[in-house]
Amino acid sequence: MKERIHKDVVIIGAGMAGLTAALYCGRMNLDTLVLENGLIGGQIANATDIENYPGFVSVRGGDLISTIQTQAENFGAVIDEFDEIEKVSLKTSPKIIETQERIYEADVVIIASGMNRRKLPLPEEKKFSGRGVHYCELCDGHAYDGKIIAVAGGGNAAVDAANFLTKYAKKLYLIHRSELRADDFSQKRLRANEKVTIMLQTDIKALRGDKRLEEVEVFDKKSGETKTLSIDGIFVNIGVEPNTQLFKDELTLTASGRIPAGEDCKTEIAGVFAAGDVREKEIRQLTTAAADGTTAALLAEKYLSKLKETDLNG
Amino acid sequence: MVKVYSFEGCPWCDKVKRFLDARGVEYEVRDVEESEEAAKECLKISGDLAVPVTTIDGVNYVVGFDKRKIEELLATA
Repeated sequence: MKERIHKDVVIIGAGMAGLTAALYCGRMNLDTLVLENGLIGGQIANATDIENYPGFVSVRGGDLISTIQTQAENFGAVIDEFDEIEKVSLKTSPKIIETQERIYEADVVIIASGMNRRKLPLPEEKKFSGRGVHYCELCDGHAYDGKIIAVAGGGNAAVDAANFLTKYAKKLYLIHRSELRADDFSQKRLRANEKVTIMLQTDIKALRGDKRLEEVEVFDKKSGETKTLSIDGIFVNIGVEPNTQLFKDELTLTASGRIPAGEDCKTEIAGVFAAGDVREKEIRQLTTAAADGTTAALLAEKYLSKLKETDLNG
Repeated sequence: MVKVYSFEGCPWCDKVKRFLDARGVEYEVRDVEESEEAAKECLKISGDLAVPVTTIDGVNYVVGFDKRKIEELLATA
């Protein structure tokens, strides 16, 4: 039988929003647990150079996150990155989070589960995943030293990944279905590199290879031409999708799959907050994720104080 | 002895190492960037240089962090 443990606050997700919430909750002496299935740091765990987080000229995502993790842990928050959540019941009191190993009863739940990278929408993706198709340039880029690399995508993450991968690639293709959306600074850096060919208005139609990826078939929408490129690996950065599968029976989600909540991060269920990229909002940046984590934690503390007052007064 | 093929600064490699630490499992780190010999071993085991690769016997291995598969691998030791 699983052990039952009570917590003041359970935070789901240890990205920027979740860790900031943990730091604040810990600092307010709330008994706080953070559960993370993937990498501590979430989307920025793999980021090579962050240049838009105040206080740092340039910082590796892993280094920034590691500092915030230390801050949260120094204030008493506990982070468990190995026990996976199986189901949640948010409408009960207390709220229940059942993991593989335990059952947590929490007065407050802060959902900061963030976003996952979207997979390449081709049937061959599964066959070549880890064998030429990759989603983590920092982890797998080194395996392509002196090889031909493609990057799929046109946002900041894709262009930054391409810039990073030029240190390994002898030739790099950036393939994107429309125009680049990355900021000018990153684009200029990429365009200035002679190893790089940028293919815009181009769809990836097929992946081919025997045991591992050897070729991609692309379709140039402007010229109507289909081409086959010999490549050793492709790094996919075609966007992200909200990590809200766990909550779809508990909370109403927006059309994009995010959690509707205002600037106060309060969801439709009292004591359940949504913070960071998982919350429906216009701007999703590291700084706004940190802001959400702060707001959710401070309002969680207010909610807990009221809850305790109500309990004391019967 | 458990071997973890990895390199410094690889976040999933670090997660595998933290998992083994949390389970009290001793392991040898084989750095595929620092050591050509380790890179060759990794290629021989998985046919690829994608890391982390966790193995005990050099035949059965787990690529990436997959808690259940690593637990199964450890259970064979």
